[in-house]
Amino acid sequence: MAPPPPGDLAFMSVVELGRLLRETKTSATELATYFLERLERIGPRFNAVVTVTRERALAEAAQADREIRAGKWRGPLHGIPYGVKDLIATKGYPTTWGAEPYRQQRFDADATVVERLGAAGAVLVAKLAMVELAGGMGYNQANASFTGPGKTPWNPAYWSGGSSSGPGAAVAAGLVPFAIGSETSGSILTPAAYCGVTGLRPTYGVVSRHGAMALAWTMDKLGPMGRTAEDCALVLAVIAGRDPKDPSSVARGFRMPPMSRRSPFKVGIPKDADKNIQPEVAANFRAALKVVEDRVEVVEDVELPDLPYGAVAGIIIAAEGASAFDDLLKDGRLSQLTAPEDRTGGYPALAIAAPDYLRALRVRRPMQRALDDFLKKFDVLAQPTRTTVASPIDKPFREGWPGITGGANVIGPTNVVGVPGVSVPNGFGVQGLPTGLSFAARAFDEGKLLALAIFYQSRTDWHTRRPPLD
Amino acid sequence: MTDAISRRAFAEQLALVAAAPWFLEDLRPQAPRPQAPQQQEPSLLAKSLAEGVRLRYPDRFTPDDLAAITRSIDNRLRQIERLYQTPLTNADEPDFVYAVYRGDD
Repeated sequence: MAPPPPGDLAFMSVVELGRLLRETKTSATELATYFLERLERIGPRFNAVVTVTRERALAEAAQADREIRAGKWRGPLHGIPYGVKDLIATKGYPTTWGAEPYRQQRFDADATVVERLGAAGAVLVAKLAMVELAGGMGYNQANASFTGPGKTPWNPAYWSGGSSSGPGAAVAAGLVPFAIGSETSGSILTPAAYCGVTGLRPTYGVVSRHGAMALAWTMDKLGPMGRTAEDCALVLAVIAGRDPKDPSSVARGFRMPPMSRRSPFKVGIPKDADKNIQPEVAANFRAALKVVEDRVEVVEDVELPDLPYGAVAGIIIAAEGASAFDDLLKDGRLSQLTAPEDRTGGYPALAIAAPDYLRALRVRRPMQRALDDFLKKFDVLAQPTRTTVASPIDKPFREGWPGITGGANVIGPTNVVGVPGVSVPNGFGVQGLPTGLSFAARAFDEGKLLALAIFYQSRTDWHTRRPPLD
Repeated sequence: MTDAISRRAFAEQLALVAAAPWFLEDLRPQAPRPQAPQQQEPSLLAKSLAEGVRLRYPDRFTPDDLAAITRSIDNRLRQIERLYQTPLTNADEPDFVYAVYRGDD
């Protein structure tokens, strides 16, 4: 059988590309060369790329080809190109954190997540754009990175989402088959929704943070973004697990549970999840539930425990962020950031008293227990990932979609306590922009999230749609 | 969550945006929207704390910068107030565990 037309390679899943590699219908070098060209040619349209790692990619691809030819098969990621958000350290290339003050920053070692992907034979092709300092200084507009505003490939007048803006746009535009993003508070799920790709936020501690920029040590998570939930599962299986260099990492690892489940998924729908949100977002959410109705038992109008999630997250992120970037505050280099609001956004945290930060950490413990008691009643919570499609890039976020005042608060509480979430594309809204469907679950229940997401994608084709690039 | 949202709660949410903008939509108030809290005069404590920031970096801020910093501190003080509405006992420790270290002999 002949290899697929080159245009198809760009939008193939990891599973499909792996099959081509195993059947020697393509090579790791051909794939790397192909995606490098797309990154260089198409990436700038969406401000998606910081650095193309051409030399490293070709060297890693050549090694993968030698090994595959010799019959040494490392697994499903062997020979597959990928990109990382530019807050993940990679030897030999700048790691800019999306911020002007760190534009020349280099590290002499790879982050653990890059080491693990390398050990699995994956091929690093790019460092991908991001919101400066992962948004920790309080940006309120898309233009908050020295690479310019991230643009969704579905309509470049609109934002790609953040702070993993480059991973979202690059996967959507077929510049990489998968990417690694990070989430402190919505930074994987939001760009996944706005770019029409699949994004997985693992449980805190499942993936080592070693070598990744810290914004909030107790809330930062790294996770995969890809075309399909199955691809995200394959990547998570490689990057998950205990790392002595990250004391918060856990030894559980991740293995996809068997898909032979017979019992229905018990799905909680938070109260007001689809009330007073964009009508197309609400309609796509209900349509998505309809698609899987024979396999789910829906419980409507569930209410999360009434606890101060926002206050706890706000204090923790502000205090830990101000400490993580205390050098920038001290020497005034915050003034070099792109978004004007980011240039002063770190200073108010200097007024947080230590007992108040510790109070937030103390309140979080009963909060964890209360939310776990709540989540254990269901296999997953389901809700629209965002209440609107992407915001226009030329307006502050608040002015993007005025009048949308509803939705349920799920991304916030689930991030505060560190439980997992996934977003899959579930249709389109106004301006041809994608919408997302999210599931959240108890700590370490990535398997349930992904099983339902994979099942949903087996019955839909939203994840196979391609943006109009030409 | 209640259907209506208090003025204070909305202020907390706005304050949270300073650290995590995407919390805004997650904590979006139900209609009708409250009056924008920016119209409130920041508290004396917020002004005093902002003055402390200014004294720390005396030549760094414009009047507009200081006004933004003061508003942010004022909003965060309201967040902090909410933290103390969750009852805790002396035995409720922070959610991290300090571990003693001993290196190689």
